Amino acid sequence: MSTRKPSDYKSELKPIWCPGCGDFGVLASLYRSMADLDLDPAKTVIVSGIGCSSRLPHFASTYGIHTLHGRPLPVAMGVKLANPELTVIAVGGDGDGFAIGLGHFPHAARRNVDITYLVMDNEIYGLTKGQASPTSLYEQKAPSTPFGNPEDPLNPLALGIAAGASFVARGASFNTKALTELITQAIEHKGFSYIDALSPCTTFNNTQESWKELVRDVAPDHDVTNREQAFELALKGGFTLGILYRQERLSQSQRYRNILDKAKASDIDTMLDSFNARKGAAIGKPS
Amino acid sequence: MSARHSVVIRLAGESGEGVISSGDILTQAAARGGYYTQTFRTFPAEIKGGPCMYQFRLSDEPIWSHGRDVDLLVCFNQEAWDLNWDSLGPDGVILYDITEVAIPDEYLPRARPVRMEELAKEIGGSLRAKNMVAVGAVTGVLAFDTTPIEELVLRRYAHKEGVADANIAALHAGSDEAADLKGRYPLVPPVETEEDRMLISGNQAIAVGAIAAGVKYFAGYPITPASDILEWLSVRLPQVGGLTIQCEDEIASLASVLGASYAGAKAMTATSGPGLSLMGELIGYAGTAEIPVVIVDAQRGGPSTGLPTKTEQSDLNQALYGSHGDAPRIVIAPVSVEDCFFATVDAFNYAEEYQVPVILLTDQGLATRLEVIHRPETDTLTLTPRKTSKGVAREDYKRYEYTDNHISPMGIPGEPTGMYVATGIEHDEYGHPAYTPEIHLGMGHKRWDKLEPLKAGAPHAAHGEEYPTDVAFIGFGSTFGPVREAIDRLTEQGMSVGSFYPRVLMPFPADRVIDFVKDAKRIVVPEVNFTGQLARLIKAETGIELESVAKCDGLPFTAEAIMDLANQEVAV
Repeated sequence: MSTRKPSDYKSELKPIWCPGCGDFGVLASLYRSMADLDLDPAKTVIVSGIGCSSRLPHFASTYGIHTLHGRPLPVAMGVKLANPELTVIAVGGDGDGFAIGLGHFPHAARRNVDITYLVMDNEIYGLTKGQASPTSLYEQKAPSTPFGNPEDPLNPLALGIAAGASFVARGASFNTKALTELITQAIEHKGFSYIDALSPCTTFNNTQESWKELVRDVAPDHDVTNREQAFELALKGGFTLGILYRQERLSQSQRYRNILDKAKASDIDTMLDSFNARKGAAIGKPS
Repeated sequence: MSARHSVVIRLAGESGEGVISSGDILTQAAARGGYYTQTFRTFPAEIKGGPCMYQFRLSDEPIWSHGRDVDLLVCFNQEAWDLNWDSLGPDGVILYDITEVAIPDEYLPRARPVRMEELAKEIGGSLRAKNMVAVGAVTGVLAFDTTPIEELVLRRYAHKEGVADANIAALHAGSDEAADLKGRYPLVPPVETEEDRMLISGNQAIAVGAIAAGVKYFAGYPITPASDILEWLSVRLPQVGGLTIQCEDEIASLASVLGASYAGAKAMTATSGPGLSLMGELIGYAGTAEIPVVIVDAQRGGPSTGLPTKTEQSDLNQALYGSHGDAPRIVIAPVSVEDCFFATVDAFNYAEEYQVPVILLTDQGLATRLEVIHRPETDTLTLTPRKTSKGVAREDYKRYEYTDNHISPMGIPGEPTGMYVATGIEHDEYGHPAYTPEIHLGMGHKRWDKLEPLKAGAPHAAHGEEYPTDVAFIGFGSTFGPVREAIDRLTEQGMSVGSFYPRVLMPFPADRVIDFVKDAKRIVVPEVNFTGQLARLIKAETGIELESVAKCDGLPFTAEAIMDLANQEVAV
């Protein structure tokens, strides 16, 4: 049974977000989820990029890394590979994850890096004051798209499923109970678990009310192991909330554990011996 | 002919003809026979086709450069002759393939045809053993016992039936060619010694040095000429319980290295110039978040894609300054293959002690050349532990606490007393975002002042006079070898010469450089780049007047070129 309360995970720093920001709901869900799982704060690392939502690690009393714009995923991978005992949660926004940092997303997914990636998706750049993001809609007006956005949005859920993410879900900041449950399942999942959390920006792209009209829960009979069905849901208009796809396969940490088991134990002296000039070994080629 | 101390052999042909593997096998055989060797190779950036060259020098004595004047030039094809004839020494001889190469009449008296292709076809039914005929011909001229080579061939082709036999037959056939040149270069035989020596490249010395230093995580992206490190550690690191991972790019490589180091593992990446450019932003992050990492940059010709397979020292500026803001780092440049091992251990020690990114600068020549070195002593190595938060009560814990030496205890996940958020944003002692003038100034001092002790305390490399009166050479990295050889020869000629090679270039030991040159008539700074990057650094740091000799042709300095530099102005 859980002995920790959600408030135990709050740091002494108060969030700097605007009133009504969706990120408050996501943070509250994360606190509650960590409490439900009774995560040891000393063995939990929250890794973020840059942006409004990427300030999140400072508001949690766990270990944290506030990295560079777009880089939470590879940093989180390094943490997890170096110490598989840790619970590693990467967080960030849609600009951080799907513009500057997109190059890392499919690789984290295909490697099945054993972390949770929680994206607070507000379809806008908040911290830089409202420019269009990769998930902004076609013809959306923003300071950088005065004639309306000429680009189509990226579909991060379909991308995640295509790239090999083994857990793909969508939640919403305005439904914290369901989001908490999703985060809990994502953290418990062995492998790369990705949650797109709708998190409206009340200052620059206030979709709080309109998104409530567009969300629906995943159908009770949806087979989460069926990749084709998951694609259909991801490609469908509006927002389907819940777990779209889930697959059991070896995580990156488990695969590297297997490599360590396969490798023949050696030591520095044996390795230096392999270069012995007199023995004429094949110039240090590992045996 | 009296016995000599060194011979320089150059093999040249088309990429894919086995020129490089021939050079490797001869070098291994020479090392096995007790000779010191040093090699130098150039090859095209393409896998098949294009000219490649392998030069090796062997001697009974330690050698410091690959040599300028070629004693024995082996031409696999016409282009090999066309591109390499001007490297021949005054007494140099030529072995050339009789079907492929035409040698100008004036060189014919010292050229011998070798039936490379003919014999290869006769013996193996194809051209594949062509290079072994050439290897055989070289062993003939050098009067080398072929047994070590036969053993190497048997080992290499153990799994391929018939291939070893054909290669050994080709080797023997080749050794009977050019019979009248047999023993043309009688070498002083190596001194019999029980001393442990290794034949190893700079890249390999770095990889094995990292293991000795306790590396537990390596991430990299394939790039010439650094990929050997990734490949070698892919096999070796799991054997000591560590992990090697090939990432999607250099940004992810360094980012994951930062993550692993944050989690407590000694972590490293290796790349070349283009990769270091991509890592720039993260280098600033590592300096600001104070996370120890080691970054190897095996420099190649730049700018841009440049000369991917040629040598250059043109990433110095990038290593010193790359990244926005005043981003602290330590830059260390090993001066020899042996030093690659020790500099890597130093790099880890500096990173862990000062909680800072350390960039280890080599270059293509140093990274890929094979050299016989003394086996490093591992039981006398000192490894510096990271200062951690272990035992510090949580309430008191300040990750970026101001301390006397500006180094603060680092929390490691799993340790309940060290929780903090690492960040690249300006922060107070707790790591909380904070932007006041006092904090920015205070943290700037913390990040930079902690490196001060290295200016006086970091070991340097030197040779010759401690305070030369004629010529003082200052350089970094791989030019140390040819400069050292030149110093010995110039000293014999009666000149007062010496060299000072800072191994740590950032922070720069300005006072020590000023002291070194105090009596020198001339201060010469040789380096392999276009703009004289080291010379500019020295001028900026010390204000001394110097002669910048920036050479930028994709080739390393020779000892002879350094001697010319020393004699030049004296003659004038």
